[in-house]
Amino acid sequence: MVPSPQLPTFSPAALLREDLLANRERALTQLYRQAFPVVRRYVGNHGGTPHDAQDVFHDALVLLYEQAVAGTLVLTASASTYLVGISRNLWHHEQRRRARLPQDALPDDPSQLAAEPSAPAESGFTVLEYVERLGEKCRNILLSFYYFQQPLTDIAATHGYRTVRSATVQKFKCLERLRQSVRAAVTPEAIHY
Amino acid sequence: MRPELERLALIESQLLHGPAALPAADWHLHQLLDGELHADTVAQQHLYAGLQMAGRRQLRRELAAIHAQLYAARPGGWVRKLYQFLGWLRG
Repeated sequence: MVPSPQLPTFSPAALLREDLLANRERALTQLYRQAFPVVRRYVGNHGGTPHDAQDVFHDALVLLYEQAVAGTLVLTASASTYLVGISRNLWHHEQRRRARLPQDALPDDPSQLAAEPSAPAESGFTVLEYVERLGEKCRNILLSFYYFQQPLTDIAATHGYRTVRSATVQKFKCLERLRQSVRAAVTPEAIHY
Repeated sequence: MRPELERLALIESQLLHGPAALPAADWHLHQLLDGELHADTVAQQHLYAGLQMAGRRQLRRELAAIHAQLYAARPGGWVRKLYQFLGWLRG
């Protein structure tokens, strides 16, 4: 008797990773549909606004995404249950932070705001700004690879490169372009994010 | 690849623990022999940190778009369809 071939078994976290890498928008929309109504209700029942709910939910999804694609996510329940759990923790954390802060209401006299010094970051250089200034193709390639963890085979297909090698070279050309624009603007010690 | 790109690839391999990453002692030797390698490595680390932040910003934009798509009030949305359905039920 011929032994049946071993089918690969994927953990829920590995399956989620596959879904996110295969079609991020579809996978995120599905998670959104499943989990956000629960988070909105929870935050609303615990003193938050719909906007607060959206904020903590987005933070939770960013965390989930990064853990999932990095392969560090461990799921002991469904992804949506995990998201609700993270969101609840983030909302409790935010409530404690707000309770610690002194009154942050706007002053009665708006001129007090004008007297405050402007944010120093405005005049500062940021790598982030230079990423935004890259051409669309380079920005997409760099973010797809370094943040969204898309495989180079997918990046090559999306951008019309016939080989992974060509896509790899283009990726380094884009990284070099970013480095040159950063280098031209500032010394590394002065970089802010 | 051009030597400049090969250098980026070498540093990337080291920083992101790629398959071509050198053992620590070898990398240290490289740094001793190449006076600019350390500064270039630090600069490249800054680039990756900036890309990480840019990626998060991009992901948040995508999430905001999904939220708008799912929950933005639209004329002709589900409320109108519900009323249409109720009207149909009443004959």
